[in-house]
Amino acid sequence: MGFIGKGLFEGMVVTARNFVGSYFDKERLVTVQYPEERVQVPENSRTFPFLVFDADKDPIGTMRCVACKICEVECPPQCIYIVMDRDEKGKPQQRPKVFDIDISVCMQCQICVEVCPFDAIKMDNNYEKSQYGRFNELVEHLPELLKSNEYYNKIKPTEATIVDAKLKADAEKKAKKAAPAAAKPAAAAPKTVAPATPKLAPAAAPMARVAIPDDAPFTPEQRQWLSEYLAAVAGSGGTGVAPAAAAPVAGTPVAQAAAAAPAGNWPWHDPALGMQQRLDLAKGTPIADKLMAAMAQTDCHACGFDCRGYADAIATGAEPDLSLCLPGEAETANMLKKLMQEAGKL
Amino acid sequence: MIQPLTDAKPYTLTPGSNGVIETQTLEVSIGPQHPSTHGVFRMDCVLDGEAVVALKPVMGYLHRNHEQLAERMAWLGSMPYTDRLDYFNSMTNNWAYALAVEKLAGIKVPDRAEYIRVIMSELTRLLNHSCVIGFMLQDLGAWGTPLLYAFRERERILDLFEAVSGSRMMCNYMRFGGVRVNMTDANLATAKDIATRFPRFLDEFEKLLTNNEVLLARTQRVGILPKELAINAGISGPMARASGVDYDLRKVDKYGVYGRLDFRVPLGDVGDVYDRYYIRVLEMRESIKILQQALRDIPQGPHVAPEVKLRNFKIPPADGYGRIEGPKGELGFYLVSDEGGKQPYRYHVRPPSFINLTILEDMCVGHKVADVVVILGSVDIVLGEVDR
Repeated sequence: MGFIGKGLFEGMVVTARNFVGSYFDKERLVTVQYPEERVQVPENSRTFPFLVFDADKDPIGTMRCVACKICEVECPPQCIYIVMDRDEKGKPQQRPKVFDIDISVCMQCQICVEVCPFDAIKMDNNYEKSQYGRFNELVEHLPELLKSNEYYNKIKPTEATIVDAKLKADAEKKAKKAAPAAAKPAAAAPKTVAPATPKLAPAAAPMARVAIPDDAPFTPEQRQWLSEYLAAVAGSGGTGVAPAAAAPVAGTPVAQAAAAAPAGNWPWHDPALGMQQRLDLAKGTPIADKLMAAMAQTDCHACGFDCRGYADAIATGAEPDLSLCLPGEAETANMLKKLMQEAGKL
Repeated sequence: MIQPLTDAKPYTLTPGSNGVIETQTLEVSIGPQHPSTHGVFRMDCVLDGEAVVALKPVMGYLHRNHEQLAERMAWLGSMPYTDRLDYFNSMTNNWAYALAVEKLAGIKVPDRAEYIRVIMSELTRLLNHSCVIGFMLQDLGAWGTPLLYAFRERERILDLFEAVSGSRMMCNYMRFGGVRVNMTDANLATAKDIATRFPRFLDEFEKLLTNNEVLLARTQRVGILPKELAINAGISGPMARASGVDYDLRKVDKYGVYGRLDFRVPLGDVGDVYDRYYIRVLEMRESIKILQQALRDIPQGPHVAPEVKLRNFKIPPADGYGRIEGPKGELGFYLVSDEGGKQPYRYHVRPPSFINLTILEDMCVGHKVADVVVILGSVDIVLGEVDR
């Protein structure tokens, strides 16, 4: 020990060095004069979620969200509220009508982003979100939440590039998968469908050839109308019957079968169809197919499977829970229960 | 209903029959809205003049139902809530919870993830210890200076946390079987930079504090915690080690890859406030050693076990306790999974600062009321964790 007060004196030297140093050394002067200056946030930085859409012309039509409600269920503080869009007949439209995020409840945990199978919801890094009100002002609705893919690419270039590449690969894979299915005669295809109705099988064959590619830029309505049109044309042997007359919206099973052809070998595997139509298409098929037809057909994996897998799991008894189909809501759960009871398995 | 500790009568200065002024004890409630209590915490002190006769810690003002919430949501859902337990150390909280779940589900964590976890938790220890010292000195009356020096260094670490995990404090970074995103080479370079700079800051910090006569006068022989009491009361972390208890879970359990890293556990001998201050400085120096080794040895590979599902994650019926050496002490999660296994049937947190707070009275009695805040500061509490 030196003299009394040596420790104090040494401490004063440190403070003096820091004080003087702050005029010369950037390291010692760390204050940022917000709002005149702003810190550049890192790319990974996250604040609140937003929904991604692909084309500027049509945000609603090209949004990636299919209203599967996985994020709504997984959100730890339960700040997401989704209502699926339905047309006047009650058919699910595979997109949300209402998508609200209460940002006063949201805790920015990013779990919605991680669980989304469609890369539809992403984290923003805009931290200037203060509002004058405390209630409605802090609930973000669909129009505010929708942001373009360009914006996403701008704020998170690395992440967005990976996502874009993945989506492109997925679309290509899907198109490739759809192509052989369309080329194959449908009579051979419904191996899994088992005894298809005699009326269905021969009719479906020619229609499958005019499948609309999955990545074609159509809204679900346009897609449905087009597939019905094509189905009508093909179904009538190419005689050019007026489509509206030949294929009414809730058309014959024949027309609907064609509409579903590109997605797989199951005619009911089309989310644009209503529950009753799907069940009609699956009439006379084994229980697993009927169960599948009762689902929402989004392949969202909310249950942990795709629609086919969940139906098989229920049919074999591997998955006893009938309420896992989130997009299908209570309608599907009730129908699954009914079907299982009818089959005597419950 | 909280019972008052004494039947306090009006304070009188009338001399008694023997000519001496009769004094009575005075009950003072410090907190819950008092800056020295580090949050909403109340100390019910009984004072005789300036000396403390009895003291009762009153907790629960920040109770947020953490455990019950966790029992109502999926396993992953409580991960972001663990960030909010001890909001200074979200990385170590994440790790403790992930470790408990991994133990329960039998998940093997890839090597790279283990190293990333070690790096993150040692950085957390650095920022926690430096800031705790700052806060303690703030309680002593050293307004701002040491705390802001500590905050300046902490900011570098938080910037790294933000670059890696996306958030400065609520990191939500660990996942069952690994971590959420991989650390890039740029991130590792930043961590290396922090590890090389930090000793310089520590030297400066020590020069400012360690031999400071005011600090010595206020902290030495104050708030002594005997070794036996520390063991009997279940004290853990730097507090126990300051009293000479050789107990560090990194050495005892060797969880993660701590078995492969070379470091020492500093121990105190008196167990007073000064020891608790200095043990933290020494632990920071050891943490830097660990950091440098981990950054040197970190292998390439996956950052998360690929077989772990994010959604519909289920655990067969079992129970288990996972614990780590958090910056404040032993942080443990006791989890029970039952039929279905979608969410915990029972979820219990063993928070170090809550248990370390239980011996506050034993340390404070006999000291002046001004020492109480210093002793409390040396315990290192975060009310988010105490009340949960």
